[in-house]
Amino acid sequence: MTTIEFHDPSGAIEITQKHAPRIPSLAGKKIGFVSNEQWQAFRTLPLLKQLFEADHPGIQMLPIDAYPQGNALIGAEETAQLVKNSGVDAVIIGNAA
Amino acid sequence: MTNAIAGLGFAPDAAMVKFPIDLFLPGSDIAAIEARKQEFYDGLTRWKSDFAKAADGSPMLSVEGVSYEDALAKANHLMIANLWGDGLPIWPATRERTDWILRGTPLPRTHKIGKFPPRGGVTTVETCAVALAMAGGRPEYLPVLLAAVDAFLDPQSGAELLQAASGSAFPVVIVNGPIAKQIRLNSGFGCLGPDPQQPAGASIGRALRLIQQNVGGALPGIGAMANYGGMRYTNVVFAEDEAGLPEGWAPHATARHGFARETNSVSLVFANGATNIRRRGAKKETPEEDATQGMYRMADFMRVPNTPGLAGYEQGSPGVLMIPQVVAQAMAALGWTQQSIREFLWEHSKIPLAQLKRGGVTAWIEIDSNPLTRASLKLDPWPITAKPENIVLIVAGGGHPTNSYWLQGYSPRVTGRRMQVPETFEQLLTEADQDLGCGSDYCRV
Repeated sequence: MTTIEFHDPSGAIEITQKHAPRIPSLAGKKIGFVSNEQWQAFRTLPLLKQLFEADHPGIQMLPIDAYPQGNALIGAEETAQLVKNSGVDAVIIGNAA
Repeated sequence: MTNAIAGLGFAPDAAMVKFPIDLFLPGSDIAAIEARKQEFYDGLTRWKSDFAKAADGSPMLSVEGVSYEDALAKANHLMIANLWGDGLPIWPATRERTDWILRGTPLPRTHKIGKFPPRGGVTTVETCAVALAMAGGRPEYLPVLLAAVDAFLDPQSGAELLQAASGSAFPVVIVNGPIAKQIRLNSGFGCLGPDPQQPAGASIGRALRLIQQNVGGALPGIGAMANYGGMRYTNVVFAEDEAGLPEGWAPHATARHGFARETNSVSLVFANGATNIRRRGAKKETPEEDATQGMYRMADFMRVPNTPGLAGYEQGSPGVLMIPQVVAQAMAALGWTQQSIREFLWEHSKIPLAQLKRGGVTAWIEIDSNPLTRASLKLDPWPITAKPENIVLIVAGGGHPTNSYWLQGYSPRVTGRRMQVPETFEQLLTEADQDLGCGSDYCRV
């Protein structure tokens, strides 16, 4: 038998931060949207907002455009700060290339 | 998306609700969102990461066969099954071969160049050597690959966007300095394709692509949404024909990056198209007419609504124009300079605003994040880039006056890097001569 031993070419992955903890329930929570405003977001995200509001009385869904939108802006540190300052419990991200 | 998440340092999974592409097309039926609303609710309240532990380093893999050929076939099958291949035969990066490639750099193998976007795979000198080994490369090619990867990982290069975007960007690596000839990197006939006498570009570019895919996660349709992905088997790696530069013309690396002549360097541009331009005249043109008509024709090829190119409107490039040395010499004899050529092309590639509006291009300009780009809508006709200097003009290609070549740009920046070669570099070149035969100009067929 002949053996060939070779390197895995994929490179290591470093995990430097944890995913945000989930919220226990949606009741009475404040939820925002961060959107790059592409791919029919103008139709899909308002529908999602309506569904959340209909199914979870007391939930506060922020307007879709509460934060800056667009590819160049949704990843900006300023946008992240605006999200934090707004006091939301969670955000839904709509982002696609 | 998991690539982008991993690239930020999170475990490479996330609470996602995935839909087929149909949902995201104009006029689509979006009822599926309501049908799956519970998944959105669960994503915020119940989701847990399934990713237990990060991979530690790059482990060695092993295959066994009844013969070397059988084992080699199994190694190739394994790499395809693990999504590490490109469909062409691969040379397994054994310890021995990787160590051989590593002779091409003075840097330690553990030297970290960065994290390759969007997946964020840790990219070391060894990572690059492994890819170069797989691509059939040689140690003397490694300085070019390392410099190209370093340029790629420059946060300003735009690579993070272009790796995943749908616009089919591919890296163009332009090499300046004596290393080009030393390692047999083509600057002449067929310099954008395979050449057994000057084979360096193929394996350097292929190695870069393998890193993009295997370390950066740019798998077609999964991590890289390029509709077509042209030029990606080997990307584009070639040398400027510095010996063919007319007197007074600066090498690209000197003009664009300020590197001294004779500096070994790379310049990284991203492009999304490759077009041959039949440049010369067909009848009894005078030299002046031939030059001017050719210039108008090249400008005509550049005058297109390339909206991805907006990413480099201010500081990047609308593309790389390659002209052969015989044309450069003829134009220089008529008084053309690199700058006057760029200015002519810039002026005559402008697009009437009405034409932009007709095709909806103005909408893309209006939503651009760069205020300077948005402000360009006040200009009629509209220049395809903010200034003539953004046009990358390179003397390269075979010594024949008929054609020039336009690599249409998708390049937020043009990124330059100097190379480092080991003290033993001359020895590597001697060994290349022993392995491949004489590589000097005099020996070439």
